[in-house]
Amino acid sequence: MSSKMNRRSFLTAGAAAGAAGLLGGALLTSCSGGNKQKPLREPGTYYIPELPDKAIDGRPLKAGLIGCGGRGNGAVNDLLEAADGITITALGDVFPDRIEATRKAISENHGQEVPEDHCFTGFDAYQKVIDSGVDMVIVATPPVFRPVHFQYATSKGVHSFLEKPICVDAKGYRTIMATAKQAEAKGLSVVTGTQRHHQRAYVESFKKIQEGLIGEITGGNVYWNQGMLWYRERQAGWSDMEWMIRDWVNWKWLSGDHIVEQHVHNIDVFTWMLGAHPVKATGVGSRQRRITGDQYDNFSIDFEFENGIHMHSFCRQIDGCSSNVSEFIQGTKGSWNSQDFAIRDLQGNILWQYDEEAAKEQFTQHNPYVLEHVDWVNHIRKGEAHVEAAETGQSSLAGTMGREAAYTGNTVTWDEISASEMDYMPEKLELGKMNMKAYTVPVPGTGKEA
Amino acid sequence: MKKRGIIWSIVIGGFALAAVLVIAFANVDSRTVTNDYCMSCHSHEEADRLWKQSPHHLSKSGVVTDCAACHLPPKEDGLNRYYMIKLKMGAKDLWAKTFKNPEDIDWASKRQQDYAQHIVYNSSCVKCHQNLYPEGISDDGVAAHLHYEENAEKLNLNCVSCHLNAGHYIPGYTHQKLKGTVDTGPGEIYEAPATVEHFESFTETVPGTNAAIRMVAIPGGEFLLGSPENEPRRRPDEGPQKRVRVSSFFMAETEITWRQFWSFYNETMSEGRTPPSVIYAANSREKVDAVSGPTPPFGFPDQGWGMGERPAITMTHYAAETFCQWLSLKTGKTYRLPTEAEWEYAARGGTSTPYFFEGNPKKYAPQGLRRLLGGADTTMIARYVIYEGNSPARTLEPSQVKPNPFGLKNMLGNVMEYCADYYAPDAYDHIQDGAVDPKGPAKGSEYVIRGGCYADAADEVRCAARRHTQHDDWLRTDPQNPKSIWWYSDIKGIGFRIVCEVPETIE
Repeated sequence: MSSKMNRRSFLTAGAAAGAAGLLGGALLTSCSGGNKQKPLREPGTYYIPELPDKAIDGRPLKAGLIGCGGRGNGAVNDLLEAADGITITALGDVFPDRIEATRKAISENHGQEVPEDHCFTGFDAYQKVIDSGVDMVIVATPPVFRPVHFQYATSKGVHSFLEKPICVDAKGYRTIMATAKQAEAKGLSVVTGTQRHHQRAYVESFKKIQEGLIGEITGGNVYWNQGMLWYRERQAGWSDMEWMIRDWVNWKWLSGDHIVEQHVHNIDVFTWMLGAHPVKATGVGSRQRRITGDQYDNFSIDFEFENGIHMHSFCRQIDGCSSNVSEFIQGTKGSWNSQDFAIRDLQGNILWQYDEEAAKEQFTQHNPYVLEHVDWVNHIRKGEAHVEAAETGQSSLAGTMGREAAYTGNTVTWDEISASEMDYMPEKLELGKMNMKAYTVPVPGTGKEA
Repeated sequence: MKKRGIIWSIVIGGFALAAVLVIAFANVDSRTVTNDYCMSCHSHEEADRLWKQSPHHLSKSGVVTDCAACHLPPKEDGLNRYYMIKLKMGAKDLWAKTFKNPEDIDWASKRQQDYAQHIVYNSSCVKCHQNLYPEGISDDGVAAHLHYEENAEKLNLNCVSCHLNAGHYIPGYTHQKLKGTVDTGPGEIYEAPATVEHFESFTETVPGTNAAIRMVAIPGGEFLLGSPENEPRRRPDEGPQKRVRVSSFFMAETEITWRQFWSFYNETMSEGRTPPSVIYAANSREKVDAVSGPTPPFGFPDQGWGMGERPAITMTHYAAETFCQWLSLKTGKTYRLPTEAEWEYAARGGTSTPYFFEGNPKKYAPQGLRRLLGGADTTMIARYVIYEGNSPARTLEPSQVKPNPFGLKNMLGNVMEYCADYYAPDAYDHIQDGAVDPKGPAKGSEYVIRGGCYADAADEVRCAARRHTQHDDWLRTDPQNPKSIWWYSDIKGIGFRIVCEVPETIE
C-alpha cells in the first residue's frame, strides 16, 4: 500500500515538475500519453457502460428468478440493491427446498412475498416463470441450461440477466449467438454475469487500452488459481440426476468444467480488451484431487489469435497451491495487469493507474455485481436494446475450445468447435437414473470424444 | 462594373447549371432503378415471372423487393462502384436489346449459381437481412450463418450459394438436408450381377437395384501419354510424352449416372454424422461386409438439371472410390477409378491428335480479338463434346453426343472425371518409356481430374489436358466441421467414370 502511495506521489511530483517546465518534452509525451497514442479502436465502436450508483427510477418491473442456488439468491440481492421499483414475482428451480429457502430469504431481507402459486418446480419451471407475466428474468441455473432458457425468454420478449458462463458446448453456443441477434431485434436488454465489464477499475483500464496506451496488444496471461471449490456427497434417496445437479460444479455436462464455469471470467477479459476471439487452442489439463464428478481440476492452455497473438490461460482448483486470480496483457508500448490496475511502459514505469481514491469520492457504489444490474435495469427502463450475450457466448466457447484441447490432447480450432455437433444436454431431463458410466474423466490422446 | 456583371452571371449561371444537372442526375438515377425501367430494356419476361413466384415477391411481410435491391450493390459500398456497375449492366442490356433476339438468350443458364453470383451482391442481401438468425432458424442454419459471418471475405462466400432461389423461383429447389432415400425411377430390380466369360463389352447389373452399367471392353495397347510440345494450347504438365503400355480393361460407356449413384447412396447412406476417421477405418478393414456410404447432401446435388441418365456430380473423390468399393462387393468383380494412363488411352481411342476427332484447339477456342469475331466451324466438336460452346451451362444426357473410337461417350466434356492417381505437375518425368500400366506419384494431396466439363472452353477438353482437384476451395461454403467427406459444396462439373479389371479367369 505504501509503495502505491509512493508511486502516486511520484506521478504527482512528475506532473508538477513538467508543468513547471523543468523536464524535457520527451519525458512529457511518454508520460502524459496523448498525441502519440494510436487508438486500438475508434471511440464509439466499442461499448462503455454508464455506471451510476443506482438505476434510474421508472416503471415498476416484475422480475423472475430461474435457479434458486447461491448465485441466484446473490443476484436477487444485487438487483434489489441496484434499483427501486422492482418486485420478485416468480421463482423456479428443480428442487422445492431451494425455492422455499429463497422465498424465505427474499421475505426476510427485502420484505417481498413471492406468491406460492408463482413458485414453480421441475425442469420446465423456467417456462412457467417466464410465462407468469414477468418483465425480466435472472437465469442462474447450471450453465448447460442457459441457452434454452435464454431462447425461451427472448421468444417471449422477456429481458434476461444471464449468469456466466452462458454455454458449455457447441450446440449451446449456436443457440446463444442466434438468440442474441433475436434479442437485439426485439430491443431487449440482456446482461451477462461477467461482472468485470461493470467493475470501475476494469472499465477505466479498458478505456485506456482502447485509447492505445499499451500500444497494439501482443499477448497475455490470465489466471484463476484457487483452492478446491465445493462438492456435495451423495445423500440417501437422491437419484443420479438429483446428485449431479446438487453437485453441479463438479460435472462436465452441467458446468462445462471449471475452465468454462469459473475461468471464463479471465479469458473473457482478454477477448474483451483485444476485441477478438481466439482461433485455436492447445493445452494440457488433469484431475489431481477433485473428489466428486468427472471434471479436471487444472488446465493450462495456449490460446492463439489472429496475427499470431498468444494468450496463456491457467486455472486450478487445488488446495494448498499458490493462488492468483488476475489478468496480464502485453502491448507493443507497455503492459497492463489487474493486480494493481496499472499500465507500465516497457521500462517498468507506471504510465497510468486506476485511481481508487478518486473513484470513491465520485461514487458510492463500487460493487460490480450491483453495477451490472444497474446497467441492465437502466437499459430496460430507457427502452434501449443492449445485448451482451454474443460477446459472452464467444468467451464461453473460447473456454470450451480450451477444455476440449486439454481433454483430447489435440489442437482445436475455432472453426471446428463452433460447428461441432457437441451437445452436452442429456436426451431426457428427469430426476431419475443416469447412465453414470458415460460420465468419465477424459484421457488425452485416446481419440475418444469427451 | 460590366466585367463584374459578366463574372457574376457566369458564376450564378454555373451554379444554376450545376443544380439542374444534380437534380436531373438524381432524377435519372432514381427513375432508372424502378422495376418498370429495368423491364423496359432488359427483356426479362421469364425473370419477372419467376421473381413474382419468389420469396422476395411473395414475402410474409408483404414487402416486395425490387430488381435493383439485389442486382445493384448498395450505394453505401461506394458510389463509384455503384455507378460503374449500373452503367455496365445498362450498357450490356442495351447491347443485347439492340443486337440480340431475346429468344436466343439462354435464360436458364443465367439462373445458375455460376452466373448469379456475379450479379447479386452479398452486401445488398445483408443490407436488408441484418439479422441472419430469425426465430425458428434450425441449428444447421445457425452453423451455416456463423460460418458465413466469420469467413465471408476470407473464403469469398456467396449468399446465393445456398439461397439461389431467393430472388427467382426455381422448381424443387431446396437447401435443406436431403431426407430418406432417393427414387431411382422405374425398372427391373436385378437379382444377380453380370457374368463375364469373354473379353467383350457387357452390361453390369447391380443386384438389389435397378442400376445397369454398360461396360466397354478396351483392348490393351501402347500409346504416347501426354501431348507433343507443338500441340496448340498445350501446358507444360502434359509432358514429356512417354510411350507406355496399358493392359486390357473394361470401362463404363458413360460417366456414372444419378440413377446409378443413388442406388449406391440408398444402400449405404447414414443419416447421422460419423467422424471421418471412423468411416475411413471402417471402409479400409481387410474384410468389409457392408460399405459405409455418404451422409445426406444439403440442397440440390443435381442443381435442378435433372437426374436419371445425367452424370452424378459434386461427390468427392472418396465418395467415388467408395462407390467402386460398394460395386465390387455387390458384383464380385474389381471396380475402381481409372489410372491417368488408362483414362487417356481410352479417351484417345488410338488417335494421337488433340482430340479424338479432327480439329484445332486454337480454332475451337479463339482468344483475344479472334474470340470476338467467332466464326470457327464447331460442328465436329459439338458432335462429340458437351463444352462451353454447346452446353446450356449444365450437364447433358449422354444421348446428346456420339461415342469415341472405343465406343465411350463424354470422355471429353460434360463433367470432369476423377482418376485414381494423385496429381503432380511433373508426373510424366517419373514414368519410363515402355512402362506397363504406369501409376502416378505414391503421395499427394490432390487427385488428377480429366476430360473437362460443360463449362470449359474447347482447349480445356483436349485428350491430354490435365487438371486436379482443389479440395479445400471446393468445400469453402460447407459450414460443417469436419467438412463433408462425401459432397463438395463449391464445384458443379465434377463426376467420375469407373473401370473394371479383367477377371483372371478370362484369357
